[in-house]
Amino acid sequence: MVVPVEPTLEQPSIDVELHRRLVYGDESALREAYAAYGALVRRVAVRVTHSQAAAEDVAQEVFAQLWTSPYGFDARRGSLRTWLSMLAHRRAVDWVRREARHRKHTHADDSELHAIPDAGPGPHEAVVDRERSLLLHTALAELPRTQREVVHLAYFAGRTYRQAAVELGIPEGTAKTRLRSALRKLAESLADPPDPAAARGA
Amino acid sequence: MTNDHDGVRELLAAWAVGALPPADARAVPLHLADCETCAAEAERLRATVRLLDGTPGPDARASGAPGDARDGATGGDQGRDGADGVLASALRSRRPRTPGVAPHAAPYAAAVAGLRALVRELPGRWGTPVVHDWDAHATVAHLVAADEHLAVALGVGARLPASRIPAGTPAAHAWELRTADAIAHEHARTPEETVATWAAQAADLLATPEALDPALAARAATVMGLRLPVADHFVIRAFEAWIHADDIGRALGIAVPPPPDEHLEQLVRLAVRILGLALHDAPPVLVEVTGTGPGTGWVLGSDAEPVAAELTLDPVDFCLLVGGRYAPDEVPRGLAGDERAARNVLATAASLAWL
Repeated sequence: MVVPVEPTLEQPSIDVELHRRLVYGDESALREAYAAYGALVRRVAVRVTHSQAAAEDVAQEVFAQLWTSPYGFDARRGSLRTWLSMLAHRRAVDWVRREARHRKHTHADDSELHAIPDAGPGPHEAVVDRERSLLLHTALAELPRTQREVVHLAYFAGRTYRQAAVELGIPEGTAKTRLRSALRKLAESLADPPDPAAARGA
Repeated sequence: MTNDHDGVRELLAAWAVGALPPADARAVPLHLADCETCAAEAERLRATVRLLDGTPGPDARASGAPGDARDGATGGDQGRDGADGVLASALRSRRPRTPGVAPHAAPYAAAVAGLRALVRELPGRWGTPVVHDWDAHATVAHLVAADEHLAVALGVGARLPASRIPAGTPAAHAWELRTADAIAHEHARTPEETVATWAAQAADLLATPEALDPALAARAATVMGLRLPVADHFVIRAFEAWIHADDIGRALGIAVPPPPDEHLEQLVRLAVRILGLALHDAPPVLVEVTGTGPGTGWVLGSDAEPVAAELTLDPVDFCLLVGGRYAPDEVPRGLAGDERAARNVLATAASLAWL
């Protein structure tokens, strides 16, 4: 069916122009990229790390990488929005892993209760949920790129599956199928939770 | 409802992440009330998404239903204080900052920034053949030698061992010998060392008084046998740095963007002037280079009337032709009038071969 006209239609040429300016060291291009996608990058990072301070670090890493290595982004392979979102996600997952390792080292003798004092439903459940959440985000980071792009647009960037299809230049049916395959794979990655007894009910 | 089943099943993942357009969103709950299979699948997917959402920590912004993300705006409400921090830290990460040079040196500063960005993609691929018989490493070594001519004219300290080329060697030949010397010298070093040498020389050039002050850059200097204002030599350095970055990009399958429009226009105007000198007694041809601002048509050739032909070229194609990257027969062009006169312009442009 015909998809309604929306701003994302012009995105490829906007990305190409922004990329051109980034390559040639135009600082105002970085400011524009940050104004357009800074909030998305932080949102992705907060979802994974649950920390504004960590999201700040991740945002710094992501925009520093865009600035120093603009050729890491290739407008022929996707939009800047999805590229930044996926980069932020990967960096955020790395941050949580680093943090977990660090915690294990410094709190080897402490109980997890001390490590995570900000419990929601109950300290132990919160820990387990966080581990499962990290497991899910790790699985998400390892999905094939085509599936990851749809998840990032539909889940993190707030696009409908139709808008995502337009932005990715794929049929709506393909967008739906990729989203479904992705989500099922994520659900399956939880089928074997590290601590099934603590898995919260639906 | 049976007809709905397959359709709704396809929508469940989009529903679970809150990515349904309003029309679809109404159909899902109606069907879920009737269909246990779909309801179970839906719950399984929603549970997965809830875990992706995560449990907000004490300093995290509340992130509840997936619909929360549907703001569409850039969400400038958060991280206002952080914006300066993130940008400042990102800007610091690229060394060195593109210096604030005068307009005649701005294309070179940008081309240097562009090549610096490109070489970050080269580790492990420095041996890739690029142009002539040069690999990527030799191409950067050539730029060290090519930029050196202007560096010498501006009194910038030499980066390469002193030249053993006898004085009086014709410019074109001396140019080739010096590049061969530079490549031999740099191939004994690592590509990173060669890049550092090239980048340091470029930074020195961009820090000269002639790069910062248009009045000083107006004096003429002879570089590679071409007597031109220093300002023009800076534009030629930009031209060459971009063309070779483009060479490397093509060899590696990386799309190197053309210089920013205002710089491209400076390259075109200089190339047209030099081409005009070479064509001073040829049949006159109107050459139009599109997309580089108003008044970008030039009559090149003698003063004879009327104009023998009209040629229209894209600015990037025109630069690639002058840079020797297009054969005169291959460059895309619009042509009206005397074909021979027009072909003469294209052939002369290609034969400038100044890079």
